[in-house]
Amino acid sequence: MDFLVNWLLSTPAFAVPFALAALGIIVTEKAGVLNLGAEGFMLVGAVAGVGAMLAGVGPFLALACSALAGVGLGIVFALMVAGLRINHVIAGLILVFGAHGLTSFVATVNGWTNQSISGLEPIVLGQDALVFLTPLLVLGTIFTLEKTRFGLSLRAVGENPGAADAAGFDPTTYRYAAILIGGALLGLAGGYLTVAVTRIWVDGVVGGRGWIAVALVIFARWYPWRALLGAVLFGCIEALIPRVAATGVEVPRYFLQMTPYLATLAVMIWSAARGRSGWAQPQALGTHYVREDRT
Amino acid sequence: MPDAAFQLSRAPVVAGPPGRRRPPRLVPVLERRQKVSDWERVSVYIGSLVFATLLSVLIIATFGVAPADLAREIGAVVFSSPRAFASVLAQTAPFAIAGLATAIAFRARFWNIGLEGQMIFGAICASVVALYDVGPEMVRLPLMALAAATGGMLWIAGPGALKLRLGVNEVITTLLLNYIAFNVLLHLLYGAWQDPVSRFPHTELFEDAEKLSPLGWQNLTWALPIVGVLTLVLWWIFSVSRVGYLIDVLRSNPQMAFAMGVPVTALSIGAILASGAVGGLTGFVISAGIEGRMTQDFFTGYLFSGILIAFLGRNHPLGVAFFAFFMAVLVLVGQSLQIFFQIPFALTQLIQALFIVCVAASEFFLTYRLHWRGAV
Repeated sequence: MDFLVNWLLSTPAFAVPFALAALGIIVTEKAGVLNLGAEGFMLVGAVAGVGAMLAGVGPFLALACSALAGVGLGIVFALMVAGLRINHVIAGLILVFGAHGLTSFVATVNGWTNQSISGLEPIVLGQDALVFLTPLLVLGTIFTLEKTRFGLSLRAVGENPGAADAAGFDPTTYRYAAILIGGALLGLAGGYLTVAVTRIWVDGVVGGRGWIAVALVIFARWYPWRALLGAVLFGCIEALIPRVAATGVEVPRYFLQMTPYLATLAVMIWSAARGRSGWAQPQALGTHYVREDRT
Repeated sequence: MPDAAFQLSRAPVVAGPPGRRRPPRLVPVLERRQKVSDWERVSVYIGSLVFATLLSVLIIATFGVAPADLAREIGAVVFSSPRAFASVLAQTAPFAIAGLATAIAFRARFWNIGLEGQMIFGAICASVVALYDVGPEMVRLPLMALAAATGGMLWIAGPGALKLRLGVNEVITTLLLNYIAFNVLLHLLYGAWQDPVSRFPHTELFEDAEKLSPLGWQNLTWALPIVGVLTLVLWWIFSVSRVGYLIDVLRSNPQMAFAMGVPVTALSIGAILASGAVGGLTGFVISAGIEGRMTQDFFTGYLFSGILIAFLGRNHPLGVAFFAFFMAVLVLVGQSLQIFFQIPFALTQLIQALFIVCVAASEFFLTYRLHWRGAV
């Protein structure tokens, strides 16, 4: 019983980074920009959160810094993808590896590595404020995407940029906006990871969670509420690892650490095997739009 | 009356007082270049490399290394002695083979982001042969290489099959398998394969018959000639043979290739498995040729370096060899800056990213001509 209660109570903290990251990826990809740079955005947000905390600001301001850092990296990504029309896969990979170098460099130069921080305090049931804010953010995103003019045009740009352009919505502007909003959410996800969960910075602290979030979005077929469910599922799996280790059951430690990645692979195979893999994918995902190239 | 319509459209929309007229807002207009000569291609490409170099020098200068010091450092690392030059060549071999592994897959439109996983699994398979003394000593090394190539192929077979059968995105699957391979490696190094003497998390040293033997000049081993031969073989396959031509057709237009009767599936499977095999060999070259054992971080950084080298070398084996040398210089200079100027090594990684951004961005200026025009 104790095991179950502890497990369930520690799940949300692990689920929130996945949920926020998946949300950020969905917003970006709904505008047709393939976001493989999620891991990079999360790293930048994570280091910014730790840096702000160590500079002595409160946890909420630190999280705001994380989101801002995500926006900053978003500007770079938007310039590469929406501006200079670099291949989305290449640009995403550059972003991830560049962010690895950048965050490690910044943390080393400022001496932020391995410094523990106080972190976000729980308010109810051992859960912090962001746990309660995340479902609201999901609802807000669903509302914006489904019910507002901005959301409609953003989705139009992701489905058929030519048609959106003819209707008077500049695809490039919308892609910039989507990348910056997505960057803010991804930065927040990374910031939550360090400010609320690990409470420490080490190089590569995100540990592939950005990639898991990318897979989660495919699994959720670009629906925000399904992404939230998927995030809770992965939060459960991640929360299980320290719980199982604490019970003293003899499971090889490194095999236990593999489970999130194995689960992600299983989920990807499952969603592909169900067929119609391109069903909910924004039709223009990963393509460039140049008005002058219309035929 | 077309003339009147023309007049109408040209008339100012709002005829404000003359003093209040703002200059028109400028918007970018992209014009696709109809013809780009080879000369323009080469000069823009070189221009982007020069630009990236200047930016890097500038960044390094802001952290307290004057360009003159940097030049002296590069000279010392590369040309100061035969020994220094040999060190650069020794580092070139693993970079070149990592770049080749990546380039093979990229040539066939398969984004192999799982080089580190293939290196780890290849090296694990080679270490099984070495640690359990499989086969007579005479053929131990070829057996290790074979095991490494098989291991790399096994590790890429899953993502390859998923991509070809179910259309699963290979970027994510190959990348996730890196984490899984790394955990398998840690399981072995902190368990059964831990060094029995020092208790450090690495295997015991391989025996002499299980290491690539020295060439006899400086500290170079047979790794360099092996990688050289592999480069030439791949150059022949891609630039001379029929298979290379068919892969080019496949890359430019898979649908048309299929319609023309090119064996698309067979070629894809071949290229994917070859990429995995070379990835496994990369792990073998490093563990048997450089470290002489399995360590827990022998693969670090090769994934991105491989992508960078393949990208800068345009997936061409000879280009890969050239940029592998360039990367070796960059990394060794980075290490020396870390020692003598306390510059974190992560800066080297940033500079790598800078190079790939500049070269990727130069494509844009080759494809389009940018005008600024007043908004209508």
